[in-house]
Amino acid sequence: MLPKNIQLESQEYLAKEEALLACILDMGEMLLKSGAEVMRVEDTISRLCKVYNFTKYDVFTITSSIVLTVRTLGGRTLTQTRRIKARDTDLGRVAQVNALSRRLCAGPLDLDAFQEAVEQLRQAQTYPVWILRLMHIMISAAFSLFFGGTFMDAVAGALSGLVLYEFLRLTAPVQLNGTLQCALASFVTGMAAVLLYRMGLGQHPDMMIIGNIMLLIPGIAFTTSLRDIINGDTLSGLLGLCEAILRALAVASGFAVVLLLTGG
Amino acid sequence: MEKYLMQMVMGCIGAVGFAVLFNVSRDKLLYIVSASALSWMGYAVCMLYGTGVFWAFFCGTAVAALISEILARVVQAPVLMLLVPILIPLIPGGDLYHMMSNLVRGNDPEVLRYGRLLLLEAGAIALGIICVASFMSILTSLRRRRHS
Repeated sequence: MLPKNIQLESQEYLAKEEALLACILDMGEMLLKSGAEVMRVEDTISRLCKVYNFTKYDVFTITSSIVLTVRTLGGRTLTQTRRIKARDTDLGRVAQVNALSRRLCAGPLDLDAFQEAVEQLRQAQTYPVWILRLMHIMISAAFSLFFGGTFMDAVAGALSGLVLYEFLRLTAPVQLNGTLQCALASFVTGMAAVLLYRMGLGQHPDMMIIGNIMLLIPGIAFTTSLRDIINGDTLSGLLGLCEAILRALAVASGFAVVLLLTGG
Repeated sequence: MEKYLMQMVMGCIGAVGFAVLFNVSRDKLLYIVSASALSWMGYAVCMLYGTGVFWAFFCGTAVAALISEILARVVQAPVLMLLVPILIPLIPGGDLYHMMSNLVRGNDPEVLRYGRLLLLEAGAIALGIICVASFMSILTSLRRRRHS
């Protein structure tokens, strides 16, 4: 909460309000970047604005931007905007931001503590790299079997899943466009799978590749955008849906190039 | 029958894998395994009773969505966090691949067949999510009205 004793018109007060607004937007930005629905972002921001005594607040969110305008107790109008360039999926962070927002609604922290809590969330742990690597291997193998592959297909699929993970990890600093990265990743993985097959590992390159495809398919984008559409955020929903379809096509075309080059 | 059982086990492994990739915290993983097993059972039962692909996918999705809506309220987590990993086994990656590979091979009737299947499955999943979410939002708004 803001200290009661400072003047509502003072410079110090205004600076605090602005910092508070930035903090609230940070929460929204983290949610949107981690793959939350638009409604959750707007809802969280509105609740926080209410808790922090802004007399009027209007928030507009689409998948790539958040705009927040508030009226302060002193009668000033403040606006801040965030442009969201890249989104990934970190459902753990969505849950953590959600928990913090619940806590703040129950009893608001003062500005410094709020800033610290947000900073802590930003640095929150993810699973270590070796576990992520293991999961890529495990998922590839599991879905090779799932779609009817043999045991050796699963082994080979696991190896090409490892190639996929390393490719994604190595290209992450380049910050490629998501669709392009998907196409490239599926191409590299497909090549690895066909190469493994030629080397005599696995009987059905199809089944190996299918296990890897599951890792690249934008299931989350599809689900989120559907929920956006139901919530009435049609624009965001359509944007997300387009992105999901584009990515699915990119994945398919990456593998298609492999099939064309290697003759199926 | 055995095929569905094997797929259920593999699908659950896949679901947990994705849950970890999406950074879902460790204490929720058990929920996700059991829910995705149930959702796959919903799908398998429909397939065994011969309802066809569309209703089987719809049923599997509806079970998954219903469980995640309820679970989300119990453990106070976002619905999306539970729903996304639970739905993983139903994602039609295989058909996407078959459609593409037949397209490359110039096998047009098969492309059409898999393309149609893909549309049906994606549509069924979408419908399942939409139905359950709408149902839940109607339920909550009714309840809210009664309280106020």
